[in-house]
Amino acid sequence: MSWLRISLAALAISAALPVHAQTVTITTAGGDYGNAMKEAMWGPAAKELGYDVHEETLSDGLAALKMQVTSGAVTTDVIHLGSPEGAQAAAQSLLEPLDYKIVDPNSVPAGAKSDYCYPFDSYGTVMSWNTKTYGENPPKTWAEFWDVAKFPGRRALRANAQDSIEIALLSDGVAPADVYSVLSTPEGLERAIKRLEAIKPNIAVWWTSGAQSAQLLKDGEADLVVTWNGRAQTVKADGGAADYTFKGSVIGTDCLGVPKGAPNKEAAMKLIAAMTQPARVAKLTDFIAYGPVNPAGYEGGLIPEDRLKTLATAPENAGTSVFSNADWWVKNGEAAQKAFDEMMAR
Amino acid sequence: MTVLADPALAADARRERQFFLSLSLPALFIVGLAAILPIVWIIRQSFLTTGGEYTVGNYEKVLSSGLTWSALATTLELSLGTLAICILLGTPLALALASARPRVANLLMAFVMLPLWTSILVRTYGWLVLLRRDGLINAALTGSGLTAEPLPLVYNFTGTLIGMVHYMLPLFLLPVYAAMRDIDANLVRASASMGATLGQTIRTVILPLSSGGIFSGSIIVFIYTIGFFITPAVLGGGKVNPLSTRIERTLSTFQDWGSASVLGILLLVLMALVGVMFLAARRLIAGRRVGTAYA
Repeated sequence: MSWLRISLAALAISAALPVHAQTVTITTAGGDYGNAMKEAMWGPAAKELGYDVHEETLSDGLAALKMQVTSGAVTTDVIHLGSPEGAQAAAQSLLEPLDYKIVDPNSVPAGAKSDYCYPFDSYGTVMSWNTKTYGENPPKTWAEFWDVAKFPGRRALRANAQDSIEIALLSDGVAPADVYSVLSTPEGLERAIKRLEAIKPNIAVWWTSGAQSAQLLKDGEADLVVTWNGRAQTVKADGGAADYTFKGSVIGTDCLGVPKGAPNKEAAMKLIAAMTQPARVAKLTDFIAYGPVNPAGYEGGLIPEDRLKTLATAPENAGTSVFSNADWWVKNGEAAQKAFDEMMAR
Repeated sequence: MTVLADPALAADARRERQFFLSLSLPALFIVGLAAILPIVWIIRQSFLTTGGEYTVGNYEKVLSSGLTWSALATTLELSLGTLAICILLGTPLALALASARPRVANLLMAFVMLPLWTSILVRTYGWLVLLRRDGLINAALTGSGLTAEPLPLVYNFTGTLIGMVHYMLPLFLLPVYAAMRDIDANLVRASASMGATLGQTIRTVILPLSSGGIFSGSIIVFIYTIGFFITPAVLGGGKVNPLSTRIERTLSTFQDWGSASVLGILLLVLMALVGVMFLAARRLIAGRRVGTAYA
């Protein structure tokens, strides 16, 4: 009896809604991250636009995107990708170009800009250190990280060219804004590799997973660890003798794109623009420590002062950090990794 | 084979053989499905570009890369190192086990087998706890003043070798122990009664008679260690990169299935070569022994 009443009520409500509500499908990574995006970003945006937004969750967005586009059965309108995957997808013509009449390309710093996948939040590859070893005087720059005479201690780096070659150039005095123009010359890559080779005898561990890097920092196996900010923050929060800085970090971003041939292309662009409004990307940090790429997210006290320390893109770090250039990596990643691996094997 | 005079008996024997053969069909089916099909698929893949066209480019790329050859060298260093340590540690241990009283031997055997029943990941991380800078061994060494600084026991070649020997030793021991236990005790007594010292007995009686077991153990160690991945990945600290980690990098960083398949085939060829070499060596030694016995 009560069932009948509920379904009748439901029918009445749905009849009262406008019949032609625009439906849009968004594909996210799901989990805590997906929920945070729903609460802070696309939920409120959908309400504002009057859209009926469906969420699909997938752990490998790029693979799903490729399958949908190549099979001609595109069901998703907005897809959440890591920027490197976004660049790969764009290179394989799997994404529509962003409609700059709807999405403002200049709302993000030039280094993070993409014509196909709009970057909205960020994390950093940072320098972390053992506070027992260095006390109040840890190395403050990458040049000091390389200075083994002034800062003796065991170092740990990721066994991967990505972020490592950017850091190597920063340590060699290259300005953050020039990193990729230097890397794009053959001498530039060689210079970065030489710099890594110079520090190699002092690298105790080349780590291969984020969890491993956190363990090295926590156990004091290494005194200076290049790791991701989330990992360093976890060790610090768990009471480990560790601290880190976003100064000089290499910033990675996640982005939103529209699959080629998406059924509701224009609505998808509008949803991307609305869900990445400064207040909404600022709100995302209530749930997860991924700072806004749009600097306006930091204005007007949208983000509490004490949280800034945990966000890669906080204004005080601007100018010292480098946005990882996904397009550069798509084009040069294999050559860079090969040069890196050869350095490791020498 | 003996020729059977009675045709009925011969038919019977044939039926029996066919019956036994049919019993083995499920096993053959599984082997075919789980081993041969994937290998055929890998060989096919090694000749394809990412676009699915036929090419020999993957072979050119992999075989002309210095990284492949340094990974191959690391693989051989790890395998031969593990094998050498297994022979040095395992043979005396097998001898002790084979000559111990049954109750003692069973107890010792339980200690040897225990690691075999533990997951390799657990064991590998266990070694990390023991060997790392603030680990148990270094804490004991520096605490007792034996060393001023912690020793670099892990995140390098040494640590990888320790982990691999720990994994392989029981597998090496089993065939050697079985061979030594089967030696007729009268032969050892005869040797002693003819005035041979213990060393001479071991060298001229026990080792030659257990060489079959040592060979089997060595083949097992070599074939296993050639493909080791977890141990170098966890205990090598990124500095020990055999072919297995090279394959992983080729797949995870470059998504290059063609080149990864070529590396996989290289591993297979290496295993086959080593297997043939071991068998040839075994036949050679066995032949010489028979020769001297009749001389």
